[in-house]
Amino acid sequence: MKRGRQEQVSTTNLKKRFFLWSALILIGGGLLLSALSFWNTRRLLMAEAMAKSEVILNSVEAIRSYVKDELRPKMYELHGNDAFIIEAMSTTYVSTTIMEEFGQSMPNYIYRRASVNPHNPRNLADPFEEEMLDWFEEDSGRSFWQGVVKKNGASFFISMVPDYFTPPCIRCHGKAEDAPQSLLERYGTEGGFRFRAGDLAGINSVAIPVSASLRQAWQGSLVIFAITLGASICLLWLLNLLFQRLVIERLGVMLSLITEKKKTSSAPCPGDELDALHASLGSLRSYVRSARKGAGLEPNFISGYVVTRPIAAGAMSWLYGAYEAESGDKVALKIGFEETLQNPLYRACFEAELYLFETMSHHCLPGVRERIGDTLVLNEIKGESLISILDGKRLDDRLLPPLFSQLCDLTASLHATGIVHHDLRPHILMLDDRDRVHLFDMGLASSDQQPDPIAAAGLGPQGDMLYMAPELIQGKRGDPRSDIYALGVLLYLAVTGRLPFDEKRKTIQKWLQHKKKITPPGNYRAGLPPALEQVIIKAVAHDIKSRYQWVEDLWEDLEKALRGYKAK
Amino acid sequence: MRLMIFADIHANLEALQSTLSHAADRGVHRTVCMGDLVGYGPHPNECIELVRDLKNCRCLAGNHDVAALWETSPYGMSSAAKEAILWTMDKLTADSREFLGALPDRLDIADMTFAHANPYNPRGWRYVLNRKYALRSFAATGSRHILIGHSHRPLVITRKHLLGLDLQTVSGSIRFKVDDGRRRIINCGSVGQSRDRDPRSCYLIFDTRRQRLEFYRVAYNVEKAAEAIRDAGLPPELGTRLFKGI
Repeated sequence: MKRGRQEQVSTTNLKKRFFLWSALILIGGGLLLSALSFWNTRRLLMAEAMAKSEVILNSVEAIRSYVKDELRPKMYELHGNDAFIIEAMSTTYVSTTIMEEFGQSMPNYIYRRASVNPHNPRNLADPFEEEMLDWFEEDSGRSFWQGVVKKNGASFFISMVPDYFTPPCIRCHGKAEDAPQSLLERYGTEGGFRFRAGDLAGINSVAIPVSASLRQAWQGSLVIFAITLGASICLLWLLNLLFQRLVIERLGVMLSLITEKKKTSSAPCPGDELDALHASLGSLRSYVRSARKGAGLEPNFISGYVVTRPIAAGAMSWLYGAYEAESGDKVALKIGFEETLQNPLYRACFEAELYLFETMSHHCLPGVRERIGDTLVLNEIKGESLISILDGKRLDDRLLPPLFSQLCDLTASLHATGIVHHDLRPHILMLDDRDRVHLFDMGLASSDQQPDPIAAAGLGPQGDMLYMAPELIQGKRGDPRSDIYALGVLLYLAVTGRLPFDEKRKTIQKWLQHKKKITPPGNYRAGLPPALEQVIIKAVAHDIKSRYQWVEDLWEDLEKALRGYKAK
Repeated sequence: MRLMIFADIHANLEALQSTLSHAADRGVHRTVCMGDLVGYGPHPNECIELVRDLKNCRCLAGNHDVAALWETSPYGMSSAAKEAILWTMDKLTADSREFLGALPDRLDIADMTFAHANPYNPRGWRYVLNRKYALRSFAATGSRHILIGHSHRPLVITRKHLLGLDLQTVSGSIRFKVDDGRRRIINCGSVGQSRDRDPRSCYLIFDTRRQRLEFYRVAYNVEKAAEAIRDAGLPPELGTRLFKGI
């Protein structure tokens, strides 16, 4: 029950995010689909209406041409030039009358002949038509207009063409006194006169009602949206079921395993469950890598030595425990990482490291027995890693003088022979039962008597940023004062049990800024003697000139401070 | 830290042994030999061996060391010096040659720069005894202290301001405070062939923590040294000048 609740809590985040995004995508997709459907239906509707209205307008134009070119001349021929029989000779009368007849059988097609000054008042333009007459008058090149117009609450697709007076038309539309008697008798003298040839006579328009069709298209879109929404809900439910079974439950089991392993870490991992899993896999990868190294060698033989277990990793190499097969003497083997041996630059660093071990002599450095190919056989290194001793706690005060006297002496010896270590950190230091310090790695060291591969290759800062002096972060190498800085950080760690900086990954610029401000060690340890605090602060000074210039000076001040502290 | 600095031994084993013996009682942490281990004197290999075996010691190349390896021609030197170099060339062992061949011209450690003659052109062997070359030396490094030898005369040049210098000759065993933050060129004198009219060996201990220079003059058996020069078949004036310190 407890486990089930734990899983539920731990898996909500990923599940919620998955379903929120899925729902958003599905609803958005449904909206898009229905909008597309509506747009397409409307487009087809308009195309059809356009084609139909074109047919009607062409028919009207054919009727008007027939009246003008065939009927009217014939009537003049039969009845004389003074005769004007409206029912057979007026293009407008004939065309409108025929279209009215057509409209009775086809009510969805409304034909209009509109003018601002017609003979027949029925043909007087409404406000919209007046507007369109103005539009055509503005530019005589305009010969067609189409569009959807709302009239009396209904939508119509309207097609319009302009009609211009020709000279024969002026007889009936010029001066009233020249107009045929029959025309005056029927329409009077009020409208339809005072025009000239070329004037805009009116517009012929065909209106097709589309309200019902558009409504149907809109309803169709709504139906599509509703169907999509329903299908989305079903799909979400199905996905929920599958995601829960296939991912969430199994992920929950994995996460519960991780939580069990990391009992000590109570802080929740930032991000969702996959982020937590990713972080855990990262550490697992490191572990597997080191385990494979160990498994790869154990229980292999290197010459006459039996390899037992990996002790620690340095900058360029592993340190393995081993024993001589014949005598049973315990030794340590320094073996380069695979990537170190394959990369010419790192291999040069590794060779330089082996050379330093072979040529340097100090009681804190393991003695070299022999070199077998890429493996250096060292005397047995006893003790516990300093990083394990300092794991979250400060060093026993009793150990401070022996540890730092040896470290300072070792560093001074290195500096005196022109060697700068560049990578002093607790991971590569061991402390044995007799409080003796052992340094087993010099992978990033440089000597002023040999070319420095890292500087020559122009590589950026190498090593652990936490212990690295600002000038090292800037890529400068070969200054012994950088090691003094690292000793200062080690001292800070030993005295307070914590580092002066947190371990979050930062850019180089942020590290440089970060290193400018150091919390005084006294803030983390009550009762720390001011003299000891001053030594630490001077050793980790950001400005290289403000730092201790020589390790011996650091030790002299430190020894005095520790002696005073002990006496107190 | 107490840093012992000495230079210009010139194969004078008597002087070197006395100097090292004198310094052994003065709590020295590190040693820098500023070059010219050989030349003039009759014990080049012995002196090299002695310096090589010193703990925490760095050594620089001097003009006589380089000439003894034929890296520069000895024919530009004075007649006696040239004779001595040609003699030394015959006497040097392979180990000694290897040691001399590996010596650097200049060292920069912490806030100090070490060079046998000068830091701006170490193989030019120009003496830094006046304002012109002192200013060039200051410009050649950002270090606060520049340690040199070569002239066989102990000297302290203090930079008072951008162009102002104070040249101070050093007589006898004397202590200087250098805690005023000023930049200095310090010549540590000569162990094996003083030229400031004081026949005693001269060397320096720099106490970095107290910011103090300690110049020491050490008497040694000059007669024995001069006799060895004569016995070796070197020009006899090289022995006689040791008595006068010139």
